[in-house]
Amino acid sequence: MSTEAAGGSGSGERTVRPLIDLTSRPTARTYLREAWRRREFAIVVPAQDLRAQNMDTTLGQLWHLVNPALLVGVYFLVFGVIIDTRRGVDNFLGFLIVGVVLFHLTQRVTLEASTSITQNMGLIRSIQFPRILLPAASVNGQTAAFVPALALAILAVLATGELPTLRWLVLPAVLVAQFALNFGTALLVARIGTTMPDLRQILPHLFRLLFYGSGVIFSVDAFVQSAAWRRAFALNPLYDVITCARWCLLGEPVDLWVVAGLVMWCIVMPAIGFWVFHRSEQRLGA
Amino acid sequence: MSDPAVTVEVRDAHVSYRVFEEPAMGLKQGFARGRMRRQYRMIPAVQGVTLDLFEHETLGLIGPNGAGKSTLLAAMTGLLPLRSGSIRGRSRPSLLGVSSVLRPALSGRRNILIGGLALGFTRAEVERRMDEIIDFAGLRADIDRPMRTYSSGMRARLRFAIATARIPEILLIDEALTVGDEEFRRLAAERIDDVRSASGSVVLVTHNMNEIRRFCDRVVWLDEGRVRAVGDPADIVDSYLAAPSPNSR
Repeated sequence: MSTEAAGGSGSGERTVRPLIDLTSRPTARTYLREAWRRREFAIVVPAQDLRAQNMDTTLGQLWHLVNPALLVGVYFLVFGVIIDTRRGVDNFLGFLIVGVVLFHLTQRVTLEASTSITQNMGLIRSIQFPRILLPAASVNGQTAAFVPALALAILAVLATGELPTLRWLVLPAVLVAQFALNFGTALLVARIGTTMPDLRQILPHLFRLLFYGSGVIFSVDAFVQSAAWRRAFALNPLYDVITCARWCLLGEPVDLWVVAGLVMWCIVMPAIGFWVFHRSEQRLGA
Repeated sequence: MSDPAVTVEVRDAHVSYRVFEEPAMGLKQGFARGRMRRQYRMIPAVQGVTLDLFEHETLGLIGPNGAGKSTLLAAMTGLLPLRSGSIRGRSRPSLLGVSSVLRPALSGRRNILIGGLALGFTRAEVERRMDEIIDFAGLRADIDRPMRTYSSGMRARLRFAIATARIPEILLIDEALTVGDEEFRRLAAERIDDVRSASGSVVLVTHNMNEIRRFCDRVVWLDEGRVRAVGDPADIVDSYLAAPSPNSR
């Protein structure tokens, strides 16, 4: 076995290494560098968990594809057929699937991240590592699980008669912005969830409210008359993400305020999240 | 060896942690007093401990339940903040423990990967050491079976093999040797010797006095968060066992 501690033990001379303070908090820079060095933890562990999740089912890994399809199917049945909210939308199935899939991603990331610290208390109390890896694992795991859903959405958009345009090239930028937004939110809720575990009871309701405020199942432009109110929707980051993605894939209209809102959130949210998370990191285990 | 070098230096360390306390009063009274915040109580677990850890040394840490042994270890790894005092060391000690990250549904091999990454290895490093770890755990034939199908002895060997895959300079062991059979104890003794001969130090927390006699060069007896005695294992263990304490073991 190799020995990390070997440093000069074999040599006769006594090199007295200075003692370092073991209880001080690392600076944000060293902290981030260490987190980056250990990034594989936040990729491999959630990937293994995703595998383990459906291992005992008949369909196995296919569930990552079937699940979002069923989700969209239910919404289409309720809002496209039974209660008709198709007003003002040309391609309702495409419109719906893009909205549902993107909304679902942020929802899943946030819910999982809110318990990422509390669920891993055993690990936190036994190993010293940058805790940011735990919410990061939630983000990575859910983002990986989202890939089949995204493929499904794009297939559905193509199947309903849309043709790829140059706008499609903007979609990766929108997804990166959403990733940044999710990451920041994950850090924030992971931190809040440790001192206020009640958060995981509140979040589902918050997301139900947000669901209707993000125009997932109806076109805000068609249903909300007042321009001032429509502008207020731009403050909702999820509405911004979904609307921009629909602009890319379906050519739905997008307001400049919505683009500005998305740019703002994808910068502000990670900054807030990291600041809140890092400043109290040491107290997480106590 | 005259004047052995210090690897960890603990000076007047105080550690407290908070525990959530169930309010004695009902919800109604809580509202009436306007105290809806959760109630915490600070438990002063370590109250002014001073000790030095030397290279080539295995130090035993004994004491009744609640004496602050585990808390002191947690503070040494930087897992718990100090209220006052200082802990300095040559490098960050690592606590032997990866069990909480391991996934029972996955195979032993995948768990080695997960545990290794949790300990700070890169994926490539784990894969390079994979065979070595499997052999050390003695699980060559069973490594691709889900971990939940392992016997408790096999699980203990796997955890120990993962946790000590990187031999740290300062190794802290909290009741990790009590599980497992004689073979496992032999492996554990081998690893402890590895650390010591590489000019490292080991701290062993246990309630098992045979382990103390077998492994330790020096013993610290903690009681109510303070050092009650330090010295030769045989002497300290004898007086510890003779002490009239309701929950001494």
